[in-house]
This record gives sequence, C-alpha cells and structure tokens, in this order.
Amino acid sequence: MTPPNGSKAMTLKKDKQADDLIRSALKREQRALSEYESKKLLSLYGIPVTREQLSRSAGEAVSAAAEIGFPVVLKACSPELMHKSEHGSIELNLRSEGDVREAYGRIVGSVELELDGVLVQEMVPGQRELVIGLTRDPQFGPCVMLGIGGTMTEVFQDTVFRMAPFDMTEANDMTEELRFKKILGAFRGQKPVDMDTLCRALIAVGQIGLELEAVSELDINPLIIMPEGRVKAVDALVVLK
Amino acid sequence: MIESIKDSPLYPIANPKSIAIFGASNKVTTMGTGLLGSILDLGFEGEIYPIHPKEDQVLNLKAYRSVLDLPTVPDVALIVLPTRIVSETMDACGRKGIKHAIVISGGFKEVGNEGVTLEKELVAVANKHGIRFLGPNCIGVTTPRHKLNTTFMTYEGAPGFIGMASQSGSFVTQMFNYLSRHALGFSTAFSVGNEANIDIVDCLEYLSACPDTKVIALYIEGIRRGRAFVETARSIVPKKPIVAHYVGGSETGRRAGLSHTGALAGPDRLYDGMFRQSGIIRAQSIIELFDICWMLGSLHGDAGRRVVIQTHSGGPGAEAADACGRSGLELPSLSSETIKKLSPLIPHTASIGNPVDFTFGKNLMDYFSTIPEVLLEEKNADVLLYYFSMPNRTLERMLKHMGVPSDEIAALAPELLDAQCEAIINLVETGHKPFVGYTFQSIYDKLVRRLVERGIPIFQGPQRAVRVIQAAFQYTQLRDKILSAVSQE
Repeated sequence: MTPPNGSKAMTLKKDKQADDLIRSALKREQRALSEYESKKLLSLYGIPVTREQLSRSAGEAVSAAAEIGFPVVLKACSPELMHKSEHGSIELNLRSEGDVREAYGRIVGSVELELDGVLVQEMVPGQRELVIGLTRDPQFGPCVMLGIGGTMTEVFQDTVFRMAPFDMTEANDMTEELRFKKILGAFRGQKPVDMDTLCRALIAVGQIGLELEAVSELDINPLIIMPEGRVKAVDALVVLK
Repeated sequence: MIESIKDSPLYPIANPKSIAIFGASNKVTTMGTGLLGSILDLGFEGEIYPIHPKEDQVLNLKAYRSVLDLPTVPDVALIVLPTRIVSETMDACGRKGIKHAIVISGGFKEVGNEGVTLEKELVAVANKHGIRFLGPNCIGVTTPRHKLNTTFMTYEGAPGFIGMASQSGSFVTQMFNYLSRHALGFSTAFSVGNEANIDIVDCLEYLSACPDTKVIALYIEGIRRGRAFVETARSIVPKKPIVAHYVGGSETGRRAGLSHTGALAGPDRLYDGMFRQSGIIRAQSIIELFDICWMLGSLHGDAGRRVVIQTHSGGPGAEAADACGRSGLELPSLSSETIKKLSPLIPHTASIGNPVDFTFGKNLMDYFSTIPEVLLEEKNADVLLYYFSMPNRTLERMLKHMGVPSDEIAALAPELLDAQCEAIINLVETGHKPFVGYTFQSIYDKLVRRLVERGIPIFQGPQRAVRVIQAAFQYTQLRDKILSAVSQE
C-alpha cells in the first residue's frame, strides 16, 4: 500500500517548505491557512492549483490581472475567511482593468475582517466540479475523501473515502465508487478527466495527512475539471490543529 | 499476520482440551449454569472443571472450591461471575498458570464511569499474568467441530464453513437455528464483547488461518484498530472472502468540523470506503450477510457479471431479469452454438433467449440435466441463475394423470426426485461456473431441501439470488484489485 514517492531530496525540500508555511501560520495563531497559503501547500505536493497573486492595492490587482490574463477572479484572502461564497467576498469573470479596479473596491468595502490582501486568480473554465478532502478519524487515521464538489457538495453527498496511504489502483477505485462517476467521462463535448493527475492528487492529499501532523482537515473545493480534461484546485482550505 | 493458526491467542480459546468454568452452579436460572448446560449439550469431549465455593458437584461434574485446587492447568477459564469479583478471579487463574480466558460478565466499559475503571483493572491483571482473553461483556465462542459452544443457546445443525466475529453475541448464538435451516453452520464464531484484550483484528487472523473457514462474516458496530483492520483484511481477501454487516453508521454520529470534508465524513460513508479498501463486501442486513456467505462458501469458479437465466415460467424469469438489470448484472445473448444445442430440447412454444424459458417440455428431465448443462457451457455467460418451481405434490399429481398407478407413484416419485437432485449436483460439481437457484417454494420442499443439504445455494425469490451474484462478482473484483496492487509493489 505504499504509494510511489518522489526522490528523497525532493521530499526533504518539500517537507521543509511545508513545515515553514505551517509553522509561521501557527506562530500567527491562525486556525487555518488562507486560500493563498493553502494552495502553496498543495502545489508543494504536486497538486495543480490556479495561477494567482496576492495584491494589496487596486493597482497591484490590475497589474496582476494583466499578467495572469483576463478574465480573472478576485477573492478576499484571510485565514479567518473559511467559506467565501457566503460573505460576498468573491468577484467572478472580471474582463477588464476597470472591472478589476471596481471589484477590488467592493471586496475591501464589504469584508469587515482584516485581510491578507485580495487574491487575483485565473478564471478556470469548466462546469464539472469535484471536492477532495482530508479528515482524521480516531481509528483509521488520515482519510482522503473524493466527491462531487462545488456549491452542491452537500446536496449530492456523493463522497467516497480511503485511508492513507493508498496506491493508484485504489485511487482509481475511488472514482469508480462515485454514484455520479459519469461526470468524469466525456461529457457534453468535454473530454474525460485526466485520471492520472486526479489520482495523484488523491494520493498527495493522503501524504499531507501522513506527513503534516498539524493539518487537521483539508478541503479542495472545487477542483474543476476543465473542458479538455485537466484538473485544477480553484479553492482550498487547510484547517490547523 | 500469524504463521499458523496455533500462533493465535484464539486457538486455545476456540479449541481447548480443558475448561475451568466460574459461575455455573446447580441453580438452573443463572447464566453460568446455562452456559455449562450448553457446553454439555453439544457433548464437549475435553475436561470441564466447575469452580464453586460451596458445591461439591455442579450438573453432575466434580466441582472445585478454588482454581488453585485443580489437578491440571486448564487451557481456558470461562468466567461468568458478578463484575466486582472478575478481576480477582482472573488473578487466581493467572496464579494457577492459566493463559487464556473468556470473560462473559458485563458491567465494564459498556456501562461507563466505574465500569471503565474496572475494565482497566481487569486488563492490568491479565497483562500481569500474560493472559489473553475474549470479552468482557461477550457470549464466548462456538467451534462445533470441536464440540465446543460456550454461548447460551444449544448449537443446532452441523458444523459449517462460516467463520464469524461479532460485536453482538446474539448474532452468534441466536443464529444457530437460522443457519441450520439453510444447512449452513459456523466453523468458529466469536462474540468479541468489549474487545478489551482480543479484538476483531485478532479474530480475522485466526479465521484466515482456520482451514474449516471458507468465508468470514463480521458484525460490526465500530472498529477499534482501524489501520490494522484494513491491512489485515487486505492480506486475507486474496485467499478468503470477508463479508461485513455494519450498524452504527447513523449520520447523527458525525463530528462537527470546520471543513466540508469533516461534515461529510459521517461514519456510514467512511466505513463504506474502509470496507471497499479492505476488499470486504458490505451486507445491508444480517440475513443478507448470511446469504452472501452461503453463496461465497459454495462457489464453483469465479463469478462475473454476465448471467444466464433458466426458467420454465415467464413471470419468474422476467422478475429475475429485472432484478439483474437493477443490480448492474448483464443478460448476454446466447451464442449460436448454445442455440443450436438447445433447439432439439425445447418445445416450439418456448423461447430461446435470455431468460431461457422452457415452458412445458416433452421430457421433464431435460430441465434438470441437458438444458442447464448447455447453459453452463455458454461462453457468453459467467453464472447460471436457475428457477426451481415444481413442488413435489404437483409432480405426483402429474404422474397420476399420466395414468401411473398410485403404488407405482409411491415408488416413482422418489426415484424422479433422486434423478433430478443428482443431475443438478453433478452439474454444479463438475461445472466451473457458479450455479445459483431461486424459488418461491419452501426451503423444506423436497427437492429444494435435498439440494440445499448438499450445499447448493437456493434463495427465496430472485432478488436475494441476484444480490448474492452481485456480491460474488464484487468479490472477484475486490480480490483482483488487491492482487494487482500487490503485484505492482
């Protein structure tokens, strides 16, 4: 049941960076990593995430948007902000510098929390949304969840679990166990999901659970399946112990 | 994993040569006396030493005042005493040199507070003497081949191939009658109680090594050593199927968390995943648990998803076909070879499709021999699902109407029954594919009964038959999944 690992040197480097990320968050008494920090952690483990920059002014946001390419999404970024869609702190599909400048103002004006900044990120196309999560069970230890994601996650409640660590066969079997697994196949002109990357992401989340004691729970929601099949973590939350 | 069954702490518990029993007396209404009665009833062949502070004899056996007075060191101590004196009794057993025990007494962790403390004390005493024990708060063990049954109800029926570990004693002792009705039985069954010392994982290891166990049944309310459980099960499944019925997964038990994942990790879904990762088939009820065990324990060859149905009535065939469709099983078209072979056997009113509907043939015996033989050879199908419809009484009536004198019927009917029974058995035993029967007749109908007693699985109604085919197919898949993972390592 031992999944394939990277080389030892890589692992050490990754561990050091991940440890630093978490240690400094704990030093600031954060209960969770911000979205920006959460995705940094995920990408250290090889999980594809959105291209994004943290901006601290409207001007910074505009130049970040120009660099990333329109359309973009703006999101308030704070470790205190765990479920953004409920706070009116997200602005989607911004197509111009003017859009970005106005959206920046609205977010800063409406969110009462102290923010780390405003995240400018690429707008990922695709209607198929998954959720990947990590939970710690007192008996089974770190367990990875895969499910139908997005805002309807708790409506569909189509989720499957595996105890970490597990291998590619088992990760594949997780996708087989979903009731709505058809979403992973060719779908209304869109390509089947990149199964290899999806399975590696599931294994990687398990590795986070095994290697980082301080991570108590984790959500990647949504992980969007793009029309050409690639997957990308669009929002993420890492809860600390 | 253990190397040999004799390395398991459960070996002396399930196969003792001698037992000391605490709590049996001449008062018939006590639990201890009941359990001793049960042991005697099955004809346990080893030594039994009742320990009683006052009596010289208990149920006609010589009783001893203290365990220390015993002439030998018994293999196992069976303790059915009030909670407060269990630890001191365990201590005395330890001083005598006893290494294994079964603690039936309750009043420990399951009652909370003081019980928790008492259980810790009991574990400490056992550890001090190196005693391994089952329980407390359990009903013990049954090993019918060894003529051992420490549970309350008298064992019924023959020893069987189902090895069980249960977190409810009832699903051991209260199932004897149900199982024997289906010509099934336990190889060994453990009631694990509070699992203070020996737990379900230990039972899995024992049952894995047990040569009489063809299939392992689990009744689970909560797994304690989760990670060891998954790994142990995965090492067993390639050679032996495991079926579990899990209760306790109510969503009210889910933990509150800050993430979606925490909120969605209700125990039921989590256990679904853990079972699948373990390669364990999950049953939805106790009845289904034993249905699946029956099927898996009597399997000839691997089950697949392609089913061919043999019937001689339209409705029961359609019903079975519908059940297959709902369960993700396939009904392949028959190959041209099969159709060619069936044509001379089947009347023009019949339909050669899938289901194969024989209607009313010229030669009744074709239904029991030649037709199923052809269908078991069908290259497009993995399983034969077979309908049994004819109650014995109708058979006798038909013979009467054919003009057979009644004294000849009396001789002929059993002969026909024999011929039908032997034809089916011969097919199943020489075939390389699973054969599953279904019927709406009683399990005591003459033909059904004879076949069931010879180990042919015949279920009440097609839905139960289809469910076990689905489960057997799932076993093939789960086993192959684990084997492919092992081969990649």
